[in-house]
Amino acid sequence: MSDAPASTRAGLETRSLTVRYGGLVANSDVSITVRPGEVVGLIGPNGAGKTTFVDAVTGFTQCEGEILLNGTPIQELPPHERRASGLSRTWQSGELFGNLSVAENLLVAARKGGWRTLARDLFGRRKADAGRDLVENALAVVGLEGVTDTLARDLTLGQQKLVGVARALAGGSEVLLLDEPAAGLDSMESQAFASRVRAIAQGGENGAGDGDGPGILLIDHDMSLVLSVCDVVNVLEFGKHIFSGTPAEARTDPTVVAAYLGAPVEATHV
Amino acid sequence: MQTYVQFAILGLGLGAIYIGLGTGLLLVHRATGIINFAQGAMAMWGAYVFAQLRLDGTLTFPIGSIDLGRRPTVLVSALIGLLMAVLLGLVAHYLVFRPVRHAPVLAQVVVSVALMITIQALVVLRFGPNNIKVDSILPEGTWSLLGVEVSSREILMALIMAALSGVVWAYMRFTRAGVATRAASENERAAVLMGFSPDRLAAVAQVIASVLGTIAVTLGSALTGLNPENYTLLVVPALAVLLVARMESIGIVVVAAIVLGAFQSIIGLLVTKPWWPVWAQSGFDQIVPFAVVMVILFVLGRRLPSRGSLQTIRLPDVAIPKLKLVPTLILLAGGVAALALTTGSYRFGITTSIIVMLLALSYVVLTGYLGQISLAQGAFAGAAGFTLSKVTTGWGIPFPLSIILCGLVAAALGMLVALPAFRIRGAQLAIVTIAAALAIERFVFNNYSLTPPEGNPIAAATLFGINLSVREGRDLSRLSFSLMVLVVAAILVFLFIRLASGDTGRTFLAVRANERAAASSGINVRMTKLIGFGISAFIAGIAGCLIGLSRGQLSAESFTVFTGLQILAVAYLGGITSVGGAVVAGILGPLGIIYVLLRGVFDLGAYYPLISGLGLIITAILNPVGIAGATREQVAWVRRKLSRTPPAEPRSDATTATPTPKEPSRV
Repeated sequence: MSDAPASTRAGLETRSLTVRYGGLVANSDVSITVRPGEVVGLIGPNGAGKTTFVDAVTGFTQCEGEILLNGTPIQELPPHERRASGLSRTWQSGELFGNLSVAENLLVAARKGGWRTLARDLFGRRKADAGRDLVENALAVVGLEGVTDTLARDLTLGQQKLVGVARALAGGSEVLLLDEPAAGLDSMESQAFASRVRAIAQGGENGAGDGDGPGILLIDHDMSLVLSVCDVVNVLEFGKHIFSGTPAEARTDPTVVAAYLGAPVEATHV
Repeated sequence: MQTYVQFAILGLGLGAIYIGLGTGLLLVHRATGIINFAQGAMAMWGAYVFAQLRLDGTLTFPIGSIDLGRRPTVLVSALIGLLMAVLLGLVAHYLVFRPVRHAPVLAQVVVSVALMITIQALVVLRFGPNNIKVDSILPEGTWSLLGVEVSSREILMALIMAALSGVVWAYMRFTRAGVATRAASENERAAVLMGFSPDRLAAVAQVIASVLGTIAVTLGSALTGLNPENYTLLVVPALAVLLVARMESIGIVVVAAIVLGAFQSIIGLLVTKPWWPVWAQSGFDQIVPFAVVMVILFVLGRRLPSRGSLQTIRLPDVAIPKLKLVPTLILLAGGVAALALTTGSYRFGITTSIIVMLLALSYVVLTGYLGQISLAQGAFAGAAGFTLSKVTTGWGIPFPLSIILCGLVAAALGMLVALPAFRIRGAQLAIVTIAAALAIERFVFNNYSLTPPEGNPIAAATLFGINLSVREGRDLSRLSFSLMVLVVAAILVFLFIRLASGDTGRTFLAVRANERAAASSGINVRMTKLIGFGISAFIAGIAGCLIGLSRGQLSAESFTVFTGLQILAVAYLGGITSVGGAVVAGILGPLGIIYVLLRGVFDLGAYYPLISGLGLIITAILNPVGIAGATREQVAWVRRKLSRTPPAEPRSDATTATPTPKEPSRV
């Protein structure tokens, strides 16, 4: 499953991405590629700069280096244009629109406002159940049912995470960045979530698993989840990109083991 | 050169007032995180008490007064004035600001604006609306400075206020209570750990601020006399000074206040020069604070410290409106019947209510749906109204086109004001918009070369040969005019409901809920704010045109900053998130039907501003959903009881809970 489709869908590529907060280097020279249909893991201890990486890629933090989406540089674009060109994300803390229903949360992502929308709202014809199919489909992909009209803040945490993923998928996504989507889920939910992630990447549910799904970058603390689901694993430590390889390699790599288990430094210092 | 020095020194009087108000604003902000728009109004009360005692020996309270028989000495009068300032500071803290200390920024802004309206209304009621003369505590005289004869009184004032600010600085710097106050501005728990109650510290800060402001205004008003409107609005330049000091440094407050006062005074000299353009003569000095605010907020932007940065604006839920045919028809028929069955001032009151409903609707769009604060809606309405005068009498553009055009002018102005909203929000946005409103009022509406003082006549509207003028012969409130207003309002409400229930409304709500998440969902947040400000100002502009048409002519008094603030008051009172709230606001609004009833039946018209101010304070503290929201909740409750379904689970207010991260599992 690690073979990338030979097409213009090159996915996401960062080249020497570096983020500085004053004197602190939060990300240094991080080069990661996420191809369509592929699930790439990004792990590292607390404060390693994982969320900073996602923020930089999606335009919420200033950075140096290059960010390419399907071969086109996007580092100069504001966040909403990066989203429009197919780069979507979820947030660690959910960040749903709590006062909107689940359906409306998804429709926000699928149907943008703007002057033309305004004109259509004011003077155009309107269908009673516009976007209903889109909402049902997006919820089916993440396996949520019967919550369409619930307010987002009334959902359980696990449900909120899933709605976050559905919202990131609604309106089309080439590459999906998931920031700790499984934090707060119990192990059952976590396992179910893992298979969802695989299915989404393979274009499952509605895409019949033919590999035309989005590329997924999965950030999580749950090592078993990341290692079981990912094609490639990247490890950050203190902002440095210290490892990139398959899960099998990650399990035995001394650098990774040291970074994650806090083993004596002299053995593995890089 | 000599004259410039003399004018600069004269400006120190104004500078001294800015020092007092600016230091007070800073202290209160540090202690409570609140920006107190009522600082100027609060400072005015004690000065009025002092002035009245010196005038005729009457000690005036908010209710009742004591005739002391003879005039007390300057010292005794001043001490009584300061005692009032202390009491006012305590009242402001315990009754007004303390209840909203953990409330969303919007509620805090609204509460302080409400306090400002209330005190201003109270001053007008108790001391009258006109300028009164104030005894000078400081001796008049001149000093020779670098060979120039300058007035000594202004210099003394500035020195006294600078010294008092120095005392406040020392309090903040060297006393444990002061240090705890500074700590509380970062984190309330820090003050608790130091053994202080943040609440007590906040009360102390309010009292010091109130006293400092009162001293400044008492001294300064000897130069100009006291006037309820001007002194209330001196808070605007003081806010500019506060921003220059980045809400942190008292030293910079003092310097900036003196520079601003001197600069404004020199501008007062410059505009009299023959080379100065005539059209820019009046109100130009009021552009300066606005310019300062804009530059500071644009250059420094988010780097200004803000305790409110972690909380998003939490507002009552929005029930997405649906257009239902039968209720709409009933409401319209009710409107037509009410207008047809009344005459004269009552019909005019209902008509005004419909117009105020539109102004409130402009707040529903901007604040209720988009979560933005604007204190400039009155200025948008006024801009459209004055343009209408030019458009109808100068260019002869016919009705509906004329008001649509003027609405678009207001919309353009609104979008201009939206630009700062790209970078700032909450209380800072309120500062920018009130500064903009004041600059527009003084520089445009009060500018005789732009808006002649003899009045700005507006040609009456006709459509398809039907005369839509408001009066004809002895009929001062014609039915056809009122019906035209009703139709225009109905069209706007209809369009608003389409927008609110469509993709645009949802986009607004998403931006209101969470700007970051909205951007990551592909929403252009800036564009959305631009659209929201534009629509809101357009609606306000149409309302301004209707006000113009209903009066036949306009003057600057039609659209003061206070008009705008009173509209905010009733919009919030009615319920700022729904059309129903706007309707309630219209009924309650200034010069609307309730006002007419208060005046006609109960003879209480003079108390209207006070009642609306107090009503707003109470609403903002106790019932943020407004009257319409509370009614809706009660209706829902009754329905639930009747249908005997189990009650819905109480909704938590937080948008999303923060998840507790799981322990990382081992490799």
